[in-house]
Amino acid sequence: MDNKLIKELEYKSLQIRINLITLCNKEVIHIGGDLSICDIMTALWQYKMTYNINDPFDESRDRFVLSKGHASAVTSFNQAAIGCFSTQSVLKEYAKDGGRFSMHSCNLVNPYVEISTGSLGHGFPVACGIAAGLRLKGNKKSRVYTIMGDGEQSEGSIWEAALNAVKYKLGNLIAFVDNNCLEADGTIDEITSLGDIGKKYTSFGWNVVEIDGNNMSEIIDCLDNIPDSNSEIPTIIIAHTIKGKGVSFMENQRRWHAGKISDDQLDEAATELNENFLKRWSNV
Amino acid sequence: MSEKVFLRNVVGEYTQVLGNRDSKVVVVNADLSGTCRNKSFSDSFPNRSFNVGIAEQNMISFAAGLAHEGFKPYVFTMAPFLSMRACEQVRTDVAYGNKNVKMIAVYAGVSGGISGATHWSIEDCGIMTSIPNVSVFELSDSKMARKLLDYSLSLNKPVYIRIGVDPVDDVYDDEFVIKEGGSTELIQGKDGYILCSGVVVHQAVLASKILKEEYNLIVGVIDMYSIKPFDAEALLKAVNTKNVVVAQDHNVYGGLGSILAKYIVENGWTCNFRILGINDEFVSMAHAPFLYKKYKLDANGISESFVSLSKKEN
Repeated sequence: MDNKLIKELEYKSLQIRINLITLCNKEVIHIGGDLSICDIMTALWQYKMTYNINDPFDESRDRFVLSKGHASAVTSFNQAAIGCFSTQSVLKEYAKDGGRFSMHSCNLVNPYVEISTGSLGHGFPVACGIAAGLRLKGNKKSRVYTIMGDGEQSEGSIWEAALNAVKYKLGNLIAFVDNNCLEADGTIDEITSLGDIGKKYTSFGWNVVEIDGNNMSEIIDCLDNIPDSNSEIPTIIIAHTIKGKGVSFMENQRRWHAGKISDDQLDEAATELNENFLKRWSNV
Repeated sequence: MSEKVFLRNVVGEYTQVLGNRDSKVVVVNADLSGTCRNKSFSDSFPNRSFNVGIAEQNMISFAAGLAHEGFKPYVFTMAPFLSMRACEQVRTDVAYGNKNVKMIAVYAGVSGGISGATHWSIEDCGIMTSIPNVSVFELSDSKMARKLLDYSLSLNKPVYIRIGVDPVDDVYDDEFVIKEGGSTELIQGKDGYILCSGVVVHQAVLASKILKEEYNLIVGVIDMYSIKPFDAEALLKAVNTKNVVVAQDHNVYGGLGSILAKYIVENGWTCNFRILGINDEFVSMAHAPFLYKKYKLDANGISESFVSLSKKEN
């Protein structure tokens, strides 16, 4: 693995995390689930996906559907990082009346939102329809990326779509499950008894990949090796993550599903994130 | 008299014509392509035909995705499954994003008769008209069915089309225009109007005859096939006669009558006004004509209701 690339992407992910906690000091955001997918989102938006910031409807773009629609802040900051709009505008407009950014993604005001999401169990089935549409019109290059939560797997519509994607051979679909093991009311085991997600999708006929979703090397290795977009088998990446990843007082804490942090907490979190990055890369 | 035809047959089969005309037309079924009579489409265009199985929510979301990529999906199932099982998908995935999905709902109203309340829907009209961006239509004969389907190709937005079960005669001539917010005056009135849609239109036409022959009342019939948006000019014309009966094959709450009543009151218009519909109750399985009689949606029920209404002072 190219260390320089990993360091660069980890640095970019650090910047997104700093933006997230900065926003979290101003507004209530879904910080836990934003942080758990921060590394995957950084890799997708700032490394993997083909995207034209000057034309969000460019036919050649990869499509991204945020099925876990509450992770809107981490999406907006990544889109800001590639120049769709400024990071400052996200910080300024988030949750403001008439603003483009809020608790969930809305394409009435933000054309970079491919599909408006929020209610769980919707984005993934819509992403399947998009993937089928790309196939039908002969777009062989674009892929459809979607990220679901693990709690979201309780929605029946997810499994309807899981069957359908295999039936229609949607190998241009790359789905992630953010397996951070916490949902709003408790742990996944307590609430959902979800069991082995990978095995479930395997039995449905999916190409299943399991990674540490907070390990940039593993993420990049996975993304570099996903099947060709003309593949006939859809891929699901079970990303084992930590809710609140990178900020100790938030990690694996249910109360940080959504919330706001104090000035002191912001300092503490920022210091920890920066120090950990420096520590990790000081000897490399 | 023309031969009675099943409107779902007309619509299902005509989808193939749309498919020939426009390569962007696709069909998504949820295991009811036979019931919805659209198999000719999948025979002609297997690549543009999807069947997601008994999964109405997925059918709608999947169609929203296809529409997002520029296709024109026509989705088919029974009204309760479309409007209620998949309600949030219709609202969030189709309507919120203003996706070009045409939703064809068979078994609307109590037309499902002996299939019972699980398979018919008296709620769909109220539900669908309450969702922003969704235009709601109801079909009354085969000519307008074909014309509305032709027209639907030009509407780049969500459209919900209600279809009853029982076969119907043609009530339309060959020359008429269908549009969003349109209506058709089938019989001109003087003493009052019956505003209606779908299967009930046929009973209203018969009721108008009874009213003329037995009561010497000239009562018009307007097919309010576009329930949302509706034709306010037609409503005003009816209100000006001072006697308006709205006859609808859905719950008395929500849908056509509620929409018209709101507009009348907000504009300060006055008239005798009555809504005939399913009286906010569940009822067990019976043949549709029995149910229409029970809720005064047959010719006798409509005409009697009109007579008693027209005797009121206003």
